Amino acid sequence: MFSSTGPFAWFKWQALFADWQIFAQGFAYTLVVAFSALALALLIGIILGIASCSNIKPLELFSRIYVEFFQNTPLLIQIFFLYNGLPYAGIVLSVTTIGIIGVGMYHGAYIAEVVRSGIGSIAKGQLEAAYSQGFTYWQAMTHIILPQAKTIILPPLTMQAVNLIKNTSVLAVISGADIMFTAKSWSSSNIYYGPAYVVAGLLYFILCYPLANLAKRLEDKVNALPAEAGGKKSRLAKQDVTVGNS
Amino acid sequence: MKDIFTTANMLFVLEGLKMTLYISFVSILLSTLFGTILGVLRSLTGGIFRLLAAAYIEIVRNIPNLLWIYVIFVVFRLKSVEAGVVSFTIFTSAALGEIVRGGLNSVGAGQWEAARSQGFNTFQVLRYVILPQAFRNMIPAIVSQFVTVIKDTSFLWSVIAIQELTGKVTILMGRYFQVGQVFTLYLILALIYFVVNYTLSLLSRRLQQKLTY
Amino acid sequence: MERKGRLEMRKTVSVLLMLVMLFALVGCSGGSNGGPSGESEGDLPADLQAIVDRGVLRVGTKVDVPGFGYQNPDTNEVEGMEIDIAKALAKKLLGDESKIETQAVTAQTRGPLLDNNEVDIVIATFTITEERKLSYNFTQPYYTDEIGFLVKKAAGYKDIKDLDGKTIGVAQSATTKAALEEKAKELGISFNFSEYASYPELNAALASGRIDAFSVDKSILLGYVNETSEILDYGFKPQEYGIACKLDNKDLAKYLDDFIGEIKADGTLDSIMEKWNLK
Repeated sequence: MFSSTGPFAWFKWQALFADWQIFAQGFAYTLVVAFSALALALLIGIILGIASCSNIKPLELFSRIYVEFFQNTPLLIQIFFLYNGLPYAGIVLSVTTIGIIGVGMYHGAYIAEVVRSGIGSIAKGQLEAAYSQGFTYWQAMTHIILPQAKTIILPPLTMQAVNLIKNTSVLAVISGADIMFTAKSWSSSNIYYGPAYVVAGLLYFILCYPLANLAKRLEDKVNALPAEAGGKKSRLAKQDVTVGNS
Repeated sequence: MKDIFTTANMLFVLEGLKMTLYISFVSILLSTLFGTILGVLRSLTGGIFRLLAAAYIEIVRNIPNLLWIYVIFVVFRLKSVEAGVVSFTIFTSAALGEIVRGGLNSVGAGQWEAARSQGFNTFQVLRYVILPQAFRNMIPAIVSQFVTVIKDTSFLWSVIAIQELTGKVTILMGRYFQVGQVFTLYLILALIYFVVNYTLSLLSRRLQQKLTY
Repeated sequence: MERKGRLEMRKTVSVLLMLVMLFALVGCSGGSNGGPSGESEGDLPADLQAIVDRGVLRVGTKVDVPGFGYQNPDTNEVEGMEIDIAKALAKKLLGDESKIETQAVTAQTRGPLLDNNEVDIVIATFTITEERKLSYNFTQPYYTDEIGFLVKKAAGYKDIKDLDGKTIGVAQSATTKAALEEKAKELGISFNFSEYASYPELNAALASGRIDAFSVDKSILLGYVNETSEILDYGFKPQEYGIACKLDNKDLAKYLDDFIGEIKADGTLDSIMEKWNLK
């Protein structure tokens, strides 16, 4: 495999190191898209998450439909829609914009579920207690419920950030100039795919591992909390939202 | 404009759906097994095994699936479909490993003591007491992971040319390439995924309610 | 007591793990037996003999390029000029044109498929370049194409210079972009580029106005002309498609090259091209 005719031949590595700037650009591009998409996803997720616990039927319904639609269709197809479908309706967005909007809206749905479960894990009585003290719904949410839910929400939220970063790689399919695309584009003209994909994998790992590790530590912290503070008792609810899904 | 909705085209797309479901089903089955092993290793053992399980999970889940599919295709000498199954098994096992770890943590330590005092050996405790409870807690996360698998198999076409659902529909676009037709085909594609995945989520909610009450 | 339980747990799990690892090892050694085993008893070189012994020629082809390699939804068969070439080759080598096994490839996978011995040859609109020759053997070209432009009739473009400053859609992993950049430099004009994964998407992008011209090989453009679009009467940068095989398979490469020479000489190639309207 490492012989002069193999996919990992030394001259192929040399070619890659000579073009390191191309890969650095891909890395920077992925960072920009991931940050912007995360901001959008958080905005959508928090609003919809709260809406889904609002007891206002139309809001809950909208939030439900949004979440079900985005969670049950592939991101790839959603991106294709934005890319090939929207221009048909006269809206032409740049690939970067599509990346931010597409990935942001998709993960917005997952974050909404994280937020919803977090709020749900706080005892119902608390909201009623807050009402009895004259708090409005919004005040009760921001002052009483969310600060408590934060600890429980944080670990799965961090995992969502990891999944979001990984999913920006979908942009490669529509030529988004990200890490994945750079590896693909660079290696397919010369077919030096061995080194290209090893480097791409490393770059993603550098971005994702610290975050995934943080998520795990935060989660361990939640588990160590006493039941009343959302520890043991909240575990059932927590399972609703932990890890995994991209 | 040629008509998209011919019997031949429908069957063609159906073939793709079958492939999508086949790859998803087999990898889900295998990953549930390996994921459980990984989760148990990571949370209940020590030393080298714990380390290996942790390293496997962390390396696999911190690199995009899109890239794994390609890497596995290149490294393992497999046919495309097998490469698809193997790659999905590899990263879904890691994801499920983490879910199982979380699920095991959710079962109180007292359960171990209680079961052992009834004369169960360690394996039996795990098999009959801990895992069933853990799995019940994990159902939503696991099913959500299954949905992810079905959705992500859509990568298989553009990376390694497996003719699953997305692939078949894209091939149809080679013949039905007017904008309106392409648009229609994308809609059909999204709809099929939605129906399959939404049904799965509904079933999981039913299952969990049944087990909880 | 709980701690003791966990310790025993570890033992049990360790044993289980050994079993799994053993399994994995057996699996791996079974999988990596693909190397040459010196089985050339006949008068053919080893790499050709391996195909003859197997009795089937494994070919990597496209399945989404009408005319070259396209999976026909009506019949579910892969068809096109490149498939017919593969059939002719199977007839010569194995005495039966049906002895081919096609495998769908993408621009990303055709290289690895050869490296991994998953296919014997790739006939998939694979352009011959000096850079690629370092990694694979290519035959003499069986088809020569040139880059062209598909534009909307309504836009009124007549020449490549009318496309100055416009957005050109090209396919990913194709050699088109580099060629266009070179040409633009030569003519003192500039293009914006947008890369797409597949030709249908490129065509959709043209129709929707996302790109001003769809630029790939003319042979491919032919499949996408309709009443609202036209191919500019201008072409450049001839691209030659060749059959590729693994760099180590020198004898196979020689055999393939001779084969292309033969079907060119006896008119077989011409009739195949006519059949698929590529002439």
